[in-house]
Amino acid sequence: MISRIAFRFWMIVLLLVLPAVGVIAQIPLVEYEQALYSIPVFNPDFILSTIELGMTQGDFPAEPLLRLIDRLASHPAPSFEKEAILIVLAHALGDGFPIEGLINKASEGLARGVPLQQIEQGLLVRWSLLVLTREELLWSKGIFSAPAGLPQKMPTAIPMLRFNQLLIHISETIGDFLEGGGSPFEGHVLYQEVHKRLTMLQGVTLLPEDVELVLNRIEPSDLTQVALAAVS
Amino acid sequence: MKTDGLDKLLQDTLKAEVAASAERLSDMEKRVVMELGERCPRLRGFQWLGQLLAPTRGTRLGQIVVVGATAAIFLFVGLTLSDRVLPEGGAPQVSLQPLRSADGTQEVVFVWPAPLDAKTVAVVGNFNAWEGTDLSDPDGDGIWTTSIPLSPGRYEYAFIVDGRWQGHDPRADEVIQSFGEYSSVRYIGRGGDGV
Repeated sequence: MISRIAFRFWMIVLLLVLPAVGVIAQIPLVEYEQALYSIPVFNPDFILSTIELGMTQGDFPAEPLLRLIDRLASHPAPSFEKEAILIVLAHALGDGFPIEGLINKASEGLARGVPLQQIEQGLLVRWSLLVLTREELLWSKGIFSAPAGLPQKMPTAIPMLRFNQLLIHISETIGDFLEGGGSPFEGHVLYQEVHKRLTMLQGVTLLPEDVELVLNRIEPSDLTQVALAAVS
Repeated sequence: MKTDGLDKLLQDTLKAEVAASAERLSDMEKRVVMELGERCPRLRGFQWLGQLLAPTRGTRLGQIVVVGATAAIFLFVGLTLSDRVLPEGGAPQVSLQPLRSADGTQEVVFVWPAPLDAKTVAVVGNFNAWEGTDLSDPDGDGIWTTSIPLSPGRYEYAFIVDGRWQGHDPRADEVIQSFGEYSSVRYIGRGGDGV
């Protein structure tokens, strides 16, 4: 009896402590504010509000985003070009998209010395691919993101973090394919690329049942449709 | 008349002799076969192998035996010589096998062969926010290496040799194009071992 009470006590303590640790580990909003101030941006409120919203998401890339803002601040380009990149990220974040891949692309572009306007164009294509892929999965395939923390009641209602991972990898594969000179009409090749990437990550960062669900439902023509809409 | 009498005499004589030795000729065939069987030499090792390889008997079995024996000999010679041919010291001791920790994180080795006069080699990727991690070449043989702990997942990267980007790593799982340049991709975990 005593051991059961002790067990319950420690479980309650654990449940209270873990979220607190999570909050402490999060980078405070004021740090983003200071970083934006050093660029400086014309519309910090919009960017900050979306960052605050993104902080509530489980996969918010806090550290990479702050590092990107710092790198933009030290970039010699005009501040409006830097802000344009942050505005794209803020819009994607505000719409509930995972921005991990977008931050990675922007960081890579900065490291390669790519002009900021070209980076912005690249991000716009990647963001549109996120939007189009999500729509394709939802409206055509019935696969959608379920609120985090709730039990999965149907196989096509995938918890948000898992769904976001699928979204990132499908849309990025299409983006890489197009950037590598692939044609949207090569749906079968595109499908093979998606199949390869999801299979390689199956059991690593993606659950096998999620991969199976997507690969069973999605077809080459669906990917062609997404790719065509992204480039048009 | 004399001739007929002589013929009859000869016939009677032969009949009498055949009848006398009939008992001895009755098991002649059996005895000849037995004697030949005893004189036939026993097959030695190489004779047995030759017979095994004969096209009319046991051909497939013979081929299998020869192929198997040859493979076994080559395997034995290879294993024996490998200890003597490969140097125990002096060669770069770069372990290409990732070391896994309990949480799945692996020490992933990045290798880039640069010109001997190269001054700096770094690897950039989404694991270090595209900010360089230096490679080293302590013995000056032009093979630059570094080891980075990576959790399971997909990683894009490229090397920078004296400021020039080299995105086509032959050890990568795949190569993609990004901003018009090449980037390598490595999968760490079950799908690809990042080796």
